[in-house]
Amino acid sequence: MSATDHKAPAAAIVGVGLRLIGYPTAAAWRAGERDETPPKGALIERRSRRRCSPFTKALAEAYGEALDGSGLVPAEVASVFGSALGEVGTMIKLLDTMWVGEEPLSPMAFAMSVHNAASGVVSISTANRGYTTSIGADHDTPAMALYEALGLLAAGAPGVMVTCGDDGVPVELIAEDDGWPLAAAAVALAPVEQAPDAPRIGWPTMQGGEPVARAALSARVAENPSAGMIDLVDAVLGKRWGTVALDRGAGSGWSVELWGG
Amino acid sequence: MGQPVPITGASVCNALGADREAVREALWSGRSGLVPVGASPVKVDVPFETAVGPVPGPLPSLPAAMADWSTRSAQIVLRLVEGLEAPLARLRARWQPHRIAVVMGTSTAGVDRTERAYRDYRETGGLPADYDLWRHHTYGAMLRVVQMLTGAKGPAWMHSTACTSSAKPLASARRLIACGAVDAAIVGGVDTLCAMTLTGFHSLDALDAKVCTPFSAGRGGINIGEGGALLLLERAGEAMALVEGVGETSDAYHISAPHPQGLGAVAAMKAALAEAGVGPEAVHHVNAHGTGTHLNDAAESAAIAAVFGDGVPVVSTKGYTGHALGGAGAMEAVMAMWPLLEGWIPASAGAAPVDEELAIRVATERTTGRFTRVLSNSFAFGGNNVSVLLRAP
Repeated sequence: MSATDHKAPAAAIVGVGLRLIGYPTAAAWRAGERDETPPKGALIERRSRRRCSPFTKALAEAYGEALDGSGLVPAEVASVFGSALGEVGTMIKLLDTMWVGEEPLSPMAFAMSVHNAASGVVSISTANRGYTTSIGADHDTPAMALYEALGLLAAGAPGVMVTCGDDGVPVELIAEDDGWPLAAAAVALAPVEQAPDAPRIGWPTMQGGEPVARAALSARVAENPSAGMIDLVDAVLGKRWGTVALDRGAGSGWSVELWGG
Repeated sequence: MGQPVPITGASVCNALGADREAVREALWSGRSGLVPVGASPVKVDVPFETAVGPVPGPLPSLPAAMADWSTRSAQIVLRLVEGLEAPLARLRARWQPHRIAVVMGTSTAGVDRTERAYRDYRETGGLPADYDLWRHHTYGAMLRVVQMLTGAKGPAWMHSTACTSSAKPLASARRLIACGAVDAAIVGGVDTLCAMTLTGFHSLDALDAKVCTPFSAGRGGINIGEGGALLLLERAGEAMALVEGVGETSDAYHISAPHPQGLGAVAAMKAALAEAGVGPEAVHHVNAHGTGTHLNDAAESAAIAAVFGDGVPVVSTKGYTGHALGGAGAMEAVMAMWPLLEGWIPASAGAAPVDEELAIRVATERTTGRFTRVLSNSFAFGGNNVSVLLRAP
């Protein structure tokens, strides 16, 4: 068995977070308690918050919920943010400003249009001067974000936050019927030996077994490229141990083994 | 301290040339590839003056079976893969396809094509019939093109952390190889010229209206370039150079401005040295991020001086190529290998007369010597910092 065998636990899950439209937390999602309040991004420091898109705020909320009670140190934990399309809504607004309004761009809007906007804002808000990144891999984004995180843990990181999400794609770029609403999900990972009683995951694989039941998402939310991370969070909350598929059929077929604590 | 990872192949493509030899020749002779935006063969429609660094054309067409994936980024990727024929063949002979990762970086991905498609949408009410978001715009599209062209079937992802995007894959790949997750990785990055990035940096008042002059007393901002690089990293193989350490830090200060004293940059450079287990005296050259803005060059100079003092020769190559943003980290890592391979560093284009406020030694002439270790810096929006330490084999 190699150090990265997918059948061996590689990390403990010490926290989870979720931000869906209508469900502001994982706890609200499990309890079925709807709350239509838009994302506020409470984790984000006040000066930056008003400049952030609802998408960045949603990522920060999922991140904050997973971090709370995880035992990981906010100013020291490494962070991997994943999104297939990132701030694509902000990009469309900028193009409209350039070409429809023929106005100068807002410098702050441009700075906040980068894929790593949430990554930067969260590092500023938590005074974290360590590792952070933002990745994308279409519908394989959740699996690849876990790959990057497990690589960091293997190299000695004391903990890694993995937060994946996608904003709704503007109807200008994709047919409305093919779109999805904003959603974000997060897991806090720590070395297995530091949390022996916590659920554990292995390395992502394309040779997983029959997957456990997926989260009961609406058909539209299930289209979100980060739905696989929601499924992982839901499996942890529901204690459904076994193989968790990390995409809903539009990816390459990555899955991950999940064990109970 | 980690095990150094061999770089067994490298290709680069930017405003200086369409392949590694052309880029080398231009750097050696001190020829810049920057041109006024109005004279650029790559048309970018912006209502202001600046200079840009376009990749000289024409670029190759994708194979017929991949025609649906065609974007300028994909064509640059093809050009880069063509430059790796022999080392890539050796890599494929050594490792199973599913044990070869693809880790790339970009900030623009296919946005140039999306810009054109969206303009059509605004004019006609519909996207062009041949436009496909998943084949032309996304990060996954570029990853898929690399996989199809190289045969790699392992994990594949794109870092997108603005101007550090393609430096980070060197660290990711090093970690994956070290822990046994993969045996080899194709790493690098590509960015292309587009109206949005030029207009965005113009809004930040960060563009030089003329050819940029990093570290000079009269520097006036950056020029945007395009291009990228691919590097092959393997568990074992014929090394051109070794990735000895990579430092990755955050400023936690401001979304688009560097920390004034470059504290995050200092930490990144020190982390790269610590990974390699060497002190600053072991480094013989620093390839600076060196964008040419007043703030960036001042902060980076303070950081370099804090780590290395004023003895190590510092060069910015952005006066030759412009700033290729998400493609810059990998591109400059490849260009920083010539000191290790051939014993020379290029002149820092446009730096003379150097700003006397900067407490570093900027190399204003091509310099020959013995260079055993070089450090290449990349810094980005979000306060994201990466320093890559390369060593001669």
